[in-house]
Amino acid sequence: MSILAYNGGCVVAMRGKDCVAIATDHRFGVQAQTISTDFKKVFHIAPRMFLGLTGLQTDILTVRDRLMFRKNLYETRENREMAPKPFSAMLSSFLYEHRFGPYFIEPVVAGLDPHTLKPFICNMDLIGCPNEPVDFVVAGTCAEQLYGMCETLWRPDLEPDQLFEVIAQSMMNAFDRDAMSGWGATVYIIEKDKITERSLKTRMD
Amino acid sequence: MSNLGFQQFPEYQVPGVQQADFSPYESNGGSIVAIAGDDFVVIAADTRLSSGYNIHSRDQSKLFKLSDQTVLGSTGCWADTLSLTGLLKVRMQGYEHTHLRTMATDAVAQMLSITMYNRRFFPYYVSNILAGIDKDGKGVVYSYDPIGHCERAFYRAGGTAGTLLQPVLDNQIGHKNINLSSSELPKLTIERAVAIASDTFISAAERDIYTGDSVLINIITKDGIEEKKLQLRLD
Amino acid sequence: MALAEICKISNAPYMRRTAWDLSDVEEDLKAHTSNLANPYTLAAPPFENPMHNLNLIQANADKTGIKIDFDHGTTTLGFKYKGGVILAVDSRATGGQYIGSQTMKKIVEINQFLLGTLAGGAADCVYWDRVLSKECRLHELRNKERISVAAASKIMANIAHEYKGMGLSMGMMLAGYDKRGPGLYYVDSEGSRTPGNLFSVGSGSLFAYGVLDSGYHWDLEDDVAQELGRRAIYHATFRDAYSGGIIRVYHMTPTGWIKISETDCMELHYKYEEQKAQAAAAAQ
Repeated sequence: MSILAYNGGCVVAMRGKDCVAIATDHRFGVQAQTISTDFKKVFHIAPRMFLGLTGLQTDILTVRDRLMFRKNLYETRENREMAPKPFSAMLSSFLYEHRFGPYFIEPVVAGLDPHTLKPFICNMDLIGCPNEPVDFVVAGTCAEQLYGMCETLWRPDLEPDQLFEVIAQSMMNAFDRDAMSGWGATVYIIEKDKITERSLKTRMD
Repeated sequence: MSNLGFQQFPEYQVPGVQQADFSPYESNGGSIVAIAGDDFVVIAADTRLSSGYNIHSRDQSKLFKLSDQTVLGSTGCWADTLSLTGLLKVRMQGYEHTHLRTMATDAVAQMLSITMYNRRFFPYYVSNILAGIDKDGKGVVYSYDPIGHCERAFYRAGGTAGTLLQPVLDNQIGHKNINLSSSELPKLTIERAVAIASDTFISAAERDIYTGDSVLINIITKDGIEEKKLQLRLD
Repeated sequence: MALAEICKISNAPYMRRTAWDLSDVEEDLKAHTSNLANPYTLAAPPFENPMHNLNLIQANADKTGIKIDFDHGTTTLGFKYKGGVILAVDSRATGGQYIGSQTMKKIVEINQFLLGTLAGGAADCVYWDRVLSKECRLHELRNKERISVAAASKIMANIAHEYKGMGLSMGMMLAGYDKRGPGLYYVDSEGSRTPGNLFSVGSGSLFAYGVLDSGYHWDLEDDVAQELGRRAIYHATFRDAYSGGIIRVYHMTPTGWIKISETDCMELHYKYEEQKAQAAAAAQ
């Protein structure tokens, strides 16, 4: 089994009209055994920015902490908020620093630019190859299932409530076909003036 | 790979000979979707036949008509598909001559399972989905694992993009994770089944490099089989 | 011979019609579907030691992208008590990490007095259970009485032993009711066969044992026994990634088996959650 699938879990982010959404499952397992069902793999790192990390749990926590350190240092030095775009660039170079002994994670960044309020989504492989599509990004053990769902349900210019429905359905139906993810899910909708967090009622097997 | 027997006899080995890995299989790609309704069943498959990054054919049907009521969709190792479907055709014909009637879909399903299990120790590398009308006139789909485990279902996706398509079918046909009463859910008509099958293939062609070119759709009803073709991405 | 010369028919081997005539075609067909006539004759692979060689093909999967994932993964349990035998199973079939099916039937109804559960390779279990039901019916016809659970399980164990080392993967329980009362046997592809009062088989079996052992004794009432089986499987589906779907409970009684329930895991989870919340509220 791949080390990226050792703990299971998945994250998906989508762009809407003047908003973005990011969703995570809640499973933390060790191979087949589910250890806990309240491990959210998405972290609120700036007022309008979220970072999702899937893969090996120990690396998820390490990468999150190290990135927070670098981000805080940037904000202290520059005395301004870090936007998603430079954050992703920093994340990418951080991962590439470990080119020959990488962190076993796949990151997803979703947020609005603090000045222009333009939606931004991005994902990377474990050594930091960035990808910024216009529609959606996925990561985790059920990436294939998520691609199938998102590709069918996503449309351009979804309103926040429509975007919630699309991302929730994509997430739930995708991980219901994957043994290693699921056990609850949370969706965050990021708009210019508010962030909505919603828990989904899902299958628990 | 060292186990074709002659390794046990080192005195027969020719010095300097390079031994290749034993890889009797090839993945030729392709996807299948089948959806059964009350009195019809729709089965669709793309027409791309590939190997690695090469495309062998852009117009190869993966649907095999076994009778007027039964169609088999088969992908995986194309050589195995041909060998298996050839065998099935001969057996279907043999049955027709001995019993003077066509084999029913349920019987074909069981026969396919046993025929595949015959090769338990050197499996056919195929992903099979059998669609047909059963003896009560209802649409039915059977899906198989490579050694012949068979399960009856109402909808199923298989092949290289099977993992992408199956959750979409769960959602749109199986109405999974939808909190609506049954009266509010759309009824499954032939038109809806064809539309969903087409949409899933358009999605699959975006992300799966082994699925594309065009999709062949067979609509099976008690009156026979109607064929449709839809263009997909060619890249 | 003279005629052959006049007609320019040569005796060269490539002109002879021995290579591919009708009887050859029939032979060929028979060889390819030999197990339709005799279920015990499976095609021999073109190499030795199929378990080892198929594993090598699997090990090459990363290079070739070809991976033969058979349907796998399960939690099943069965126990004897004063009211007969309870069997409870989940319904998930996984190929690798992908959930191939959430509705698989893991209890095979061999006849009115014999049930088999399946864990391990789905195709192996279903195929050999089908062969077993044929053998059981033949036994009935030959001996004018139903086969005992002991004899049926022995047939299964013999089959498993015959193919030992070839890579079959089965872990099944056979439950029945015969002259000797309720019967429960565990048979697996290694050839072992054991009678017993309580078994759980499959990837989630350890979780099921935990619940089962804490609630099991011989004098359970019927509804309590059924609920115990259901609950044990539910907890296994919650903790084990490869178990889930629908929980099926069967009860073997002196008059044959009865299907007790088929409940979706999601429904059960939220029912038990609610019961827990109510119990907590009542305790305060």
